[in-house]
Amino acid sequence: MNRQDLFELAARNMRNARLRNALTTMGIAVGVASLVAMLSLGIGLQGFANHQLMKSGMFQTVFVTSKQDIRNMDENADAKPEETPALNDEARKQIAALPGVEEVAPEVRAMSEVAYGDKTNFTLVAGLPQSARDEDAVEKVQGRYFSSANADEVLVQRDFAKKLETDPNAVLGKTLTVRYAERQSGDDSSSFSIERKEKEFKIVGLLDEEPFGGMRMISRARVFLPTETAEAMHLMQPADTQQIVRSAPGTRTYSMLTVRMKSAAYAEKVEESVKKMNYSAYSYLDATKSIRRFFAVLDMFLGIFGSLALAVASLAIINTLVMAVLERRREIGIMKALGASDADVKKLFFAEAATMGLVGGALGVGLGWVIGRAINFGTNVYLHRMKMPAENLWTVPLWLIIGAVGFAVLVSVLAGIYPAARAAKLDPVQALRYE
Amino acid sequence: MSEETGAVAIAARGASRYYTMGDTTVRAVEDVSFDIERGEFAALLGPSGSGKSTLLNLLAGLDRLSAGSIVVAGKDLSTMDSEALARYRRLTVGMIFQSFNLVPTMTLADNIELPLRFAETPRGERRDRVLELLTNVGMAHRANHKPSELSGGEQQRGAIARSLANRPSVLLADEPTGNLDSHNGQEVMMLLRELNEKMGVTVLMVTHDPALAERYARKSLHMADGKLVSTVEALR
Repeated sequence: MNRQDLFELAARNMRNARLRNALTTMGIAVGVASLVAMLSLGIGLQGFANHQLMKSGMFQTVFVTSKQDIRNMDENADAKPEETPALNDEARKQIAALPGVEEVAPEVRAMSEVAYGDKTNFTLVAGLPQSARDEDAVEKVQGRYFSSANADEVLVQRDFAKKLETDPNAVLGKTLTVRYAERQSGDDSSSFSIERKEKEFKIVGLLDEEPFGGMRMISRARVFLPTETAEAMHLMQPADTQQIVRSAPGTRTYSMLTVRMKSAAYAEKVEESVKKMNYSAYSYLDATKSIRRFFAVLDMFLGIFGSLALAVASLAIINTLVMAVLERRREIGIMKALGASDADVKKLFFAEAATMGLVGGALGVGLGWVIGRAINFGTNVYLHRMKMPAENLWTVPLWLIIGAVGFAVLVSVLAGIYPAARAAKLDPVQALRYE
Repeated sequence: MSEETGAVAIAARGASRYYTMGDTTVRAVEDVSFDIERGEFAALLGPSGSGKSTLLNLLAGLDRLSAGSIVVAGKDLSTMDSEALARYRRLTVGMIFQSFNLVPTMTLADNIELPLRFAETPRGERRDRVLELLTNVGMAHRANHKPSELSGGEQQRGAIARSLANRPSVLLADEPTGNLDSHNGQEVMMLLRELNEKMGVTVLMVTHDPALAERYARKSLHMADGKLVSTVEALR
């Protein structure tokens, strides 16, 4: 019997026991819906978390320090000086030349007095690289970002702006004076002097929070300068005192370089290369690994719970088809007498199971989608009440739709194995004997 | 049938069918041998329990021989696997039952199309073939009726049309008039005779009615207790 006839007969048989088959098909639909709902939620949550984490810029960033650095003293106590190169301009250029590196910026952070109108505040200023503009915190900047890496412009943190004006937005376009300590080179390389300087900046934007700029999360800066501007100011850095007492003074070294990658995918390679250059490197990649593992486990559990409903539905398929075999005993006998082979009979029951799986799967994907939209809507109503922006926690990728329908058909056909075998084994003489 | 040899349509040699029921062996058919020629109209007679239905099932390829051999249209049933037997039932023999055995949920036309589906007859040819078969038995006007909407005689005529769908060379009928009144029974018998005479189909009919056999069959096989007790050839 060819496939078209098989499915025609299967469809006819299913129409003859419409209620029973419809109920079983709905059972499959509910099973698939729960699977789709669970997995979409898992995928959506994962996507959401990835998005948030990637947007933070954390995983696109590698922090490089010299092994001579005070922070690495303990672990590199045995390191020989020739194996611990200084983190100087040459090193910066080398790192910048690595594939995937977008920008290498020194960490610049300094205490300063900030004057705005007649108000003065003592606070931290920090450099903010141009590449940080894609980060989540910076993306939502009020006003605009720096026009260039060496512009005399600043971004200020919103809470700080509130100290300056009752309406924080009013500071935009105004002038702000930063009083800072400038390090000036001394007569020889073994000394430098410090001088008080002042510089005027235009406030171009407001930040809700400090972007992810470095490892010292405690020392949150309030005023941000473009990196090149900040570097040109020769802000006195705490590491400068450390540098002057080291054995090879003179050349400019950095306490830390923040290396930004074009995407997180480069981070691992760059970190490796930097380590080969004998610098200390650190990134948050390890953190992502465990987060990914967490989501893999979460997806698995959601998938298992979703599959449970489908497992129950498969029992309904077995039940329905076993009933059909009993009920259609005579019909199967007739078919065999008319020349249907055991394989034909078997295939017919598989076709019926597959049809239920296909229809149930398709309905289930639709139902799952509706459930998902409902969860999403509910979440966003809640988020809205909490005055938080709406989020899409719900993702139904195409592979999930196709996979879910395919899985439903597969489960249905597996459930059909026993009833189909039973139908095929039926003895036509016995089946035709009873009236 | 290319393999058909000589004039013999059905040849049984020591055909036996035993069942085991607990400790006892039931010899439903034992050592039955006979020949039925091509184009013959034969009757298989005997009281109930004599083994005639079992023998018919063996001839139809629905049941397997315990011993002996049966050759129908040159095909030895004793050597066939279940797939080959299905093909044999599909193409070589047609079956008619006392209780008609039309699929109750299908229309008459759908019932007749069923063996054509199994034989994978092209879709385009099927409709014409079904109509032709129904016309041959005078049932074309009932094509789209369900069996429950038809009289017994009409159902049996439909069943005969279905049995001929794949142009079998042998027609096996199990008490074809058993569930019919005498008028309808006679019509069905006339139809079988017509098919036998016009199309040359070999007919073997199981009946317990000697009068029916005498009237229509040229050869009568009498069974009792699973054995063939006599063969009567009518002089005509």
